[in-house]
Amino acid sequence: MIQRLLPFLTLIALFIILAIASPNFLTYTNLSSVARQTAVINIMALGMTMIIISGGIDLSVGSILALSGLLGTMTMEKHGIALGMVVGIVTGTACGFANGTLTTSLRINPFIVTLGTMGIFRGMALIISKGLPVHEIPPAFSYLGEGTLLHVPFVLWILLLCAVVIHVLLEHTRLGRYAFSIGSNPEAAYYAGVPVRFHTTAVYAIAGLLTGLAGMTEASRLMTGQPTGGQGYELTAIAAVVIGGGSLRGGEGSVLGTLVGAFIMGLLANGSDLLGTNPYWQQVIIGGVIILAVSFDELRKRRMSS
Amino acid sequence: MLLQLKNIQKRFGGVVALRNGSLDVNAGEVHLLMGENGAGKSTLMKIVAGMLERDGGEMLWQGQGVHLHNPVEAASHGIAMVHQESLLAPHLTVAENIFLGREPRLPLGWVNRGEVIQRAARLIEDHHFPLKAEWRVEKLSPAGKQMVEICRAIQQGSSLLIFDEPTSSLSESETQEVFHIVRGLRDRNVGVIYITHRLEELRAIGDRVTVLRDGETVHSGSMSEVTTDQIIRHMVGRELTSIYSREPVQPGEEVLQVEHLTREPVLKDISFCLRAGEITGMAGLIGAGRTELCRAIFGLDPIDRGTIRIAGKPVHIRSPRDAVAQGLALIPEDRQRTGLATALPISYNLTLASLGSVSRFGILDHTAERKIAAEYTARLRIRAESSKQRAGRLSGGNQQKVAIAKWLVRGARIFLFDEPTRGIDVGAKVEVFQVMDELARGGAAILMVSSEMTELLQVADRILVMRQGRISGELPGRTTPEQIMRCAAFEVSAATTEEHPE
Repeated sequence: MIQRLLPFLTLIALFIILAIASPNFLTYTNLSSVARQTAVINIMALGMTMIIISGGIDLSVGSILALSGLLGTMTMEKHGIALGMVVGIVTGTACGFANGTLTTSLRINPFIVTLGTMGIFRGMALIISKGLPVHEIPPAFSYLGEGTLLHVPFVLWILLLCAVVIHVLLEHTRLGRYAFSIGSNPEAAYYAGVPVRFHTTAVYAIAGLLTGLAGMTEASRLMTGQPTGGQGYELTAIAAVVIGGGSLRGGEGSVLGTLVGAFIMGLLANGSDLLGTNPYWQQVIIGGVIILAVSFDELRKRRMSS
Repeated sequence: MLLQLKNIQKRFGGVVALRNGSLDVNAGEVHLLMGENGAGKSTLMKIVAGMLERDGGEMLWQGQGVHLHNPVEAASHGIAMVHQESLLAPHLTVAENIFLGREPRLPLGWVNRGEVIQRAARLIEDHHFPLKAEWRVEKLSPAGKQMVEICRAIQQGSSLLIFDEPTSSLSESETQEVFHIVRGLRDRNVGVIYITHRLEELRAIGDRVTVLRDGETVHSGSMSEVTTDQIIRHMVGRELTSIYSREPVQPGEEVLQVEHLTREPVLKDISFCLRAGEITGMAGLIGAGRTELCRAIFGLDPIDRGTIRIAGKPVHIRSPRDAVAQGLALIPEDRQRTGLATALPISYNLTLASLGSVSRFGILDHTAERKIAAEYTARLRIRAESSKQRAGRLSGGNQQKVAIAKWLVRGARIFLFDEPTRGIDVGAKVEVFQVMDELARGGAAILMVSSEMTELLQVADRILVMRQGRISGELPGRTTPEQIMRCAAFEVSAATTEEHPE
């Protein structure tokens, strides 16, 4: 039980250590900036949680984030914020749907499929934008990424809403249950009459939707649509899921775990900034934490099964 | 005396797996190790083979006290284990597998491939195994794979070989082959420990027997001094009148009709029916097409020709989903791989095929699910700490009960049981039979594929026999093993089948 709480305890310990070590940590400005930075990754990671639970993986989410942010902001230039938001989210959903459909109909390992679409979506973003970022964005759009509601960053409300929805999806709906069973044993699920292809595709599409939303949030934070944005985000999202107890073998993972995982990484990055750690070392530290977290989790599982 | 185990103890966390495991094996004898699942057989053998370390007790190897820390140490003493599930590298050849990790070397560490093949070929020839050194292991039958493991053990110069249920996935003729090999080893003065669940094997192969129950040795002695019934009694610790016997039932209507079903090259022109209230057995050798038939009916494999009727109406079943919608249920032979999500809780497994009935508009009703889980764990006497326990942590018998219960929850009416008692202990077998009997009495139609003839004779109302993709005979439930063997293994003349018209 203690080991299951380990990510939680790590997060709390990290929080306390940083609060003591840096006078600037426990300030409203700093904490809300951590929240804003982490929120984008976090929203993506929620979708990744579903995919990983269902035994899949999605390497293309960084590219999806860029493509949907780009198309969303381009639409916004001429047709307003609302339609731009819709286009961004629909783009993400469509990309996720494409990933799911390719995986299930071609029966190719999702790692390979999304490795391919990672390049395709990124290429599409660069072709459409001719490599140039979008800057003409209605100023009001910045509220999504930078605004506050009841003194709390608006993105945190969105993250909270997404987290609750995905938690309910996973724990309280048929879709979520099927995701767990497909991830745990796709053969057994198929033998039991579960519509495996439909639900697998649905999971990728939902993850795409969340990534589209994350893309719009990122665009709002930076007030630009970047065709080159989001590079490497897929790995951070996967890391958040895995640190939070998700298993790449499928069938395991939780929304709460993923949130904790993403915040651990967010705090590590913020902490090293505040303490003036060399940014190159940041990468080393975060990499080490990922390996450490997963090896603790493996140890726990092995002890449970023996 | 080759091996002596005295009072071996082993615990996993709070669970005592062995409290008093004692056993001695002589060179040149086949020593049977019996016990229900969870009795501690595998734990004891893993300790002997160096895969686990004991917590207490004594192990004497050729009179010397030893403590093995890993399988390599065990191998250097001459102890090897032939595993239930093959531990071979499927993409390598027979020869490469035999010498895996101890390849003869050339200078600079290059593997001497010529010598590997030559020595492997000689080894295979010595034992008259139907293998070729160059064959890739993935193409071999389960029996073939075991022969490779045996070769590997012999090559290592083992003087004690442990067989963990070697015949559980083998056909009758393959089983005979394994017996032949085991006897050959015994004649070369090798000690053999042989774990089995198949009661009919005891006399055929064993010289002495040790029975474990709840982690304790409860009997040890010569096979000639003990009856099979006594062994069963030692294993279960309670009286069991013959293993099982079933009241015959008056069958009802034909529920499933299969006509001219063909799937080249495994199924040829198969016609039969299943009736409500009846348990139809299906015998045959491995490879006769019995599993393939279940798969084809259940929509897992496409069929070339033929019709399937349910309650008289022709149906098109293209996927398990279609089959489930028609009230069919398949309990596959490979529980772990296809029957259960072992990492998920029991309750999830129970409702997997019926989520529609425990959800509204896609939202799960956890209360209803808990009720179902409680009802069916009680009804099938699934022994678990709670229905939240992972299915994979149950014993084989209880896992099988979960796999079956999933279809009871669904309300299936036609059950295809493929080797329902594989790898489960005697007590659990009887419980599985009782469930099948209850189902039949409730009006379900049941097909029971089994390689254990005694089981078919005890449970089935009538027995179909398959041979080389065809139905080669239909026999009444009170037939004899000889009759079944004749249909399964030889051409049957028209006269024999006419004795038992449909």
